[in-house]
Amino acid sequence: MMYVHLIEVAIWSGIAALGFGILFNIPKSTIVTVFVLGFLAGLIKFSLIKLEVHIVLATLIAVLFVAVVSMPTAHKIHHPPVVFCIPPVIPMIPGYFAYETVLSVMNFIFIEKDPAKKLLLIDSIFSNGFTMFFILISIAIGISLPMLVLRKSTVKKLDN
Amino acid sequence: MDSSKELIKATNLLLETASLLMVSGANTIRVNLTINRFASVLNFKTSCFISHKSIIMTLYEEDTTRTCTRVKNIPPHAINFSIISAISKISWDAVTEDWTLEHIEKELEAIKNQKRYSKITVLIAVSLAGAGFCNIFKGDYINMLVAFISTFIGLLIFQLTHKEKFNVYMRIVLGSFIASLIAGFGVLFQIGSHPQSALATSILYLVPGVALINSFTDLLDNNIINGMVRFTTGLMTVLAIALGLFVTMLIFKLN
Repeated sequence: MMYVHLIEVAIWSGIAALGFGILFNIPKSTIVTVFVLGFLAGLIKFSLIKLEVHIVLATLIAVLFVAVVSMPTAHKIHHPPVVFCIPPVIPMIPGYFAYETVLSVMNFIFIEKDPAKKLLLIDSIFSNGFTMFFILISIAIGISLPMLVLRKSTVKKLDN
Repeated sequence: MDSSKELIKATNLLLETASLLMVSGANTIRVNLTINRFASVLNFKTSCFISHKSIIMTLYEEDTTRTCTRVKNIPPHAINFSIISAISKISWDAVTEDWTLEHIEKELEAIKNQKRYSKITVLIAVSLAGAGFCNIFKGDYINMLVAFISTFIGLLIFQLTHKEKFNVYMRIVLGSFIASLIAGFGVLFQIGSHPQSALATSILYLVPGVALINSFTDLLDNNIINGMVRFTTGLMTVLAIALGLFVTMLIFKLN
């Protein structure tokens, strides 16, 4: 049952990746690649979370995977890596944490009067806000690190 | 006389390429790389300053005094990965097959006239992505349906206001407000098991993912100005999304 659920979430990650790919107008020949990368990234992320790895680290590993795999793939399918490594990481964006942060900030400022409950809201703002922040940082690092570390501004090689 | 005309033509071509890449959402590293590749095919050297709104470029020959400097304004940005990919491809072909100026010009024109996915395809794909997001954040199928509908209508409004030439941040506030308003009804009537997750994911179609990722790759490559500009654009977009969500939360008094 657990595996079925993992696969289902991963498939939806792939669909989300593909949807954003279409919004960014990716070339038709990269559609399958984007879906598969989104699927694998989702599978890795949610498996790691199931194994009780923290969500920030799980995201970093999944994004690193996408960035590393996209290099040999770029060579193979003749498209630059940006085209198909940005859409698969979009589903990793911490939307729910952002939502919780905004909600807590709003309650803190406009609604709550009780100091004890205000303290709880501060806790919620900080934990959700910083989780969101660290996930964003790990996406940014994961996607750009492989390119910069390998000192390759282009993946394609010319044989001459 | 003839050779200076060629220089001007080449400069215009390279500026056009650079502007097309910037508009389509390529990072600064890639723009510089492509420009240098084309310049080497045409046997010129080039130096350029690339910013968000304009490009300044000087094209010159190594051992002569012939130079040409031009500034080009960049039209509003619209992310298009097909163009990035196609330009990258012709830049490689141009190097291997030693293309002429006219050949590159012709290919570039063909790329500019490429068709995008139709509006309805984009609408359905992005709404499915919204539903997928909702599943990722633990929503059940009814929540996913709510997320699908709210994303669909939000994006539709976003596309329609594009024609009316509204300010882009105004459009984002409006898109975020309408999408979250529709998903907010799900919370109000407690539709599905996690109506909150539908609300949280209904606005994610607006996230400035490309701007933020490009900003970090630019910053890491020391293109500080462009990195900061892209980061600010991303931040403004996020603030606009939050503002729309804020209004919905005030209306529904969520807590």
